[in-house]
Amino acid sequence: MNESRSPVRILASAGAAKVIRAELSRRRFLSFAAAAGATGLLAACSPGGGTQNAAQATGGALESELSIYTWGDYDAPEVLEAFTADLGPRITLSSFNSNEELISKLVAAKGTSGYDIVVPTGTFIPQMIENGLLSKLNRELIPNIEHMDPAFLGRAWDPENEYSICKAWGTTGFVYDKTVITRELTSWQDFLDAAQNEASGKTSLLDDPAELTGLYFWANGIPWTTTDPADLDAAEDFLVNTLAPHVSAFDSYPGGSAIPQGTHALLQAWNGDARIGMLESPDPDRWQWVLGAPDTEIWMDNWAIPAGAPNPEAAHAFIDYVLEPANSLAELDYIGYHTGATGIEQAAKDAQLERLDLVFFTPEQLETMHEGEVNDAQQRIVDIWNNTKAAAGA
Amino acid sequence: MRRSPGFALAVPAWAWLVIFFVAPVAMVVWFSFGYKPGIFGTHANDVLSFDRYVEALSPTFFATFQNTLWVGVAGTLLCLVIGLPVAYWMAVKAPPSRRGLLLALVMVPFWTNFLVRTIGWQVILAPEGWLSSLLQGIGLTNGPLDLLYTRGAVLLGVVYNYLPLMILPLFVAFDRVNGPLREASKDLGAGRWRTFARVTLPLARPGVIAGVLLVFIPLMGDYITATVLGGAKGNMVGQLVASQFQTAQNWALGSAMAMLLIIVIVLTVAAGALVVWIVSLPFRARHRLVLGDPPAPPSPPVPGPSDTSATPAGPRETQEVAA
Amino acid sequence: MNRRSRSDVALTAWSIVVFAFLFAPIVVIIVSSFNSGRLLVAWGGFGFDAFLSLVEKPAIRDAVWVSIQTGAIAAVVATVLGTLAGIAMARHPGKWVLWFAGLLLLVSVTPEIVDAVALLPWLVFLGQDLGIGLFSDGVVRLVVGHSLFATAVVSYIVRARLVGLDAQLEEASADLYAKPFATFRRVTLPLAMPAVLAGFLLAFTLSLDNTVIAAFVQVSGTTPWPVYVLSALRSGLRPEIAAVSTIMLLLTLVALALVALVLRRAGDSATQIARTMTGH
Repeated sequence: MNESRSPVRILASAGAAKVIRAELSRRRFLSFAAAAGATGLLAACSPGGGTQNAAQATGGALESELSIYTWGDYDAPEVLEAFTADLGPRITLSSFNSNEELISKLVAAKGTSGYDIVVPTGTFIPQMIENGLLSKLNRELIPNIEHMDPAFLGRAWDPENEYSICKAWGTTGFVYDKTVITRELTSWQDFLDAAQNEASGKTSLLDDPAELTGLYFWANGIPWTTTDPADLDAAEDFLVNTLAPHVSAFDSYPGGSAIPQGTHALLQAWNGDARIGMLESPDPDRWQWVLGAPDTEIWMDNWAIPAGAPNPEAAHAFIDYVLEPANSLAELDYIGYHTGATGIEQAAKDAQLERLDLVFFTPEQLETMHEGEVNDAQQRIVDIWNNTKAAAGA
Repeated sequence: MRRSPGFALAVPAWAWLVIFFVAPVAMVVWFSFGYKPGIFGTHANDVLSFDRYVEALSPTFFATFQNTLWVGVAGTLLCLVIGLPVAYWMAVKAPPSRRGLLLALVMVPFWTNFLVRTIGWQVILAPEGWLSSLLQGIGLTNGPLDLLYTRGAVLLGVVYNYLPLMILPLFVAFDRVNGPLREASKDLGAGRWRTFARVTLPLARPGVIAGVLLVFIPLMGDYITATVLGGAKGNMVGQLVASQFQTAQNWALGSAMAMLLIIVIVLTVAAGALVVWIVSLPFRARHRLVLGDPPAPPSPPVPGPSDTSATPAGPRETQEVAA
Repeated sequence: MNRRSRSDVALTAWSIVVFAFLFAPIVVIIVSSFNSGRLLVAWGGFGFDAFLSLVEKPAIRDAVWVSIQTGAIAAVVATVLGTLAGIAMARHPGKWVLWFAGLLLLVSVTPEIVDAVALLPWLVFLGQDLGIGLFSDGVVRLVVGHSLFATAVVSYIVRARLVGLDAQLEEASADLYAKPFATFRRVTLPLAMPAVLAGFLLAFTLSLDNTVIAAFVQVSGTTPWPVYVLSALRSGLRPEIAAVSTIMLLLTLVALALVALVLRRAGDSATQIARTMTGH
């Protein structure tokens, strides 16, 4: 840390390159002089472009501060440190516990929240755009987006990546204890069957309404964003009356404790969380990971800049910085989720990271992962979730 | 006429709560008469109705409330039964010079973050955890322990986290009954149990009431404590309210549910108070009689049958045991 | 052995068991802080890695510091407000007490999430629309949020301490022409002291653990510790979370040892007063 901060930058060539690049793009933009056009081509071709807030980044000098509002412990500390050492802005981290909390905060603050970067999950982005909570990215300032795998750009919530870029993405599957469930499970149908048999009273589900109803929809070939009342009624009937009595916990992060402690035999889990749990289990061979099949979800946490961000230049510089392949790998290694960068799979293999089968998926598998959405069924699935919990707790 | 107006001292607290509680919460109460506009809005009040209250009165609400009430009552009683002897010991038996320290020691475990200390319990109680290994090691059980995610675990989590809210008010109440009054009772020939039952406990009653309320009321609205060790069995009604505000982003319904919850809890407390009042009615007269006795004049001690070692022995013995 | 000492021994033994119960998970956490593995709950060998990694994570240090600061200030606010209110309720009973106790009951019975969604826009309104800059400060906002329930708690405890205790000492003091403030400071407050102390400790503890309100009212850079911990679940809690707890516990114990002397004196004087009061 001290080394890279010292004026002699012989070893810190990557960092030096950054400074030079930032400097170059700054000059380029100053010479553009056409400040109005600075939001670039994307702004020009999008309908909402005219309402952009004045504090947009133009490639000017970086501010001295950067405030990031994200999930706790969600970024590699060495990347954050190197950013400050290389480019200057001092980073302030704040944490939120849910997207709803983040949105309430931005809505209430009316553009004065003071955050420069937020990390919402994809399904919440349309709502944030609709309510004017996000400011458009100046993609000119984020050239490193070229390192991103197109598969993880242009997802449903932000088809043109005008407001957001993938920070990390994951999917849902399950983990089972092979000493309790001796047959092979391969699909959500198997999961539901095992939950009612071998794993009855030893089953843990994700504590989230979308993944709870999703469990039923994926197993039965129904799109999990359905708003059809008949589908929702069927899901409720099954979850409340059939599945709930066998469920012993609703836990969104079983990998952090339930898997290494062996408290359940069958656990619905996100891939990165399951990976940590299995890696850290005293008896890793006991556990089997299964990607949700035939269908499952893809969720994505995204870099975005809130409207009214006080330090937009630094925010763009930071997003660009983390997209750099080396930093992307450091982030993946630290949190255990795919960052969406191209070629990162090979890099991760070269770095000898473990259990990469829970991080990288084949294009065929990717085909079976569907985006969620917040739609008219939201209230209904929350009710189903509450009713299922009430039935499981009775 | 020497007295200042009675409530003057309460004005700062009153003002603080009006500004930072009544005003903002009244606004949320107002939301409960509105509705949720579209999928991206949280509340709107241009059309007013009681529809959200009708929605809130769902069978799930009452089923969940039943579970919550069970946890609340059982948790509060357990806290009282476990905490009362400790508070009594701290206030009466422990050496006075150490009481402040003991008081602080009751709180110190709770300066470790809630989630972290809960994880500590998980490590102890897990099937392959410390307790399980210990019990299997000494041959008390042959299989892994199955304690987590049971009703027992729900109560353990609740009792653990709410115990200080019971012990501290009890301690404060016992502390004021310290020494002289009990000595007087004994001097007058009352046995230790009689002294405890007739003098100490009645005087400590405000403390018991404070402790019971401080545990029961927040516990009824809590939805995290019971679930972290108890899993699905610890499902609480507060979760319903929170899920409307958070996941459903329906502040109108959430607010109506919160109002409903507040009303139901207040009614429960009122019903509980009524029951206690009726049950204690026959005892009331006798307590009054004891309390009505003038504080004992310094009379020569009348040694009772079990009273040979007199009061000073208490603390000293305790000290030895504790050391 | 007579009955007296046997029941005393039982009482002491029970108390020791309960204290052991209170500290049991804390012992686990202390042990876990020397875990060099990736996850807090899974042992990966002995080491000081967790403590070292704190050095490179300013976010953790900031969060802990915000919590301690907020806890202390919120506890002072709640203790002052609650003590005054508790004394008033115990010493000047009247119809107003019913109303005030009703308000306190409402404060404690209102679900935290309601306080949270209510306070956030309210504080923004005070801070930005009314231009009272104070309310845009993160620590101030947290203190306000944490002080509500804590004020009710302190009021209950102080009232429970004083109610039913004879006011004769205060009356005597007034009869001797002591000014009301002198009576308050020299007589009432010392009588209430154990309750004030207990209330302060509870208020501090409640503030230290507040997650729901804190998450909503915090501003950039003032994430308190419990919000950080809950939020860090997403990537799996690391042993460094336990290391923070161990350090805090150590500091607490050192501070307690220092304060013990002071408390000892305070304890004596409280007993003294109680004696004086009952005429011994």
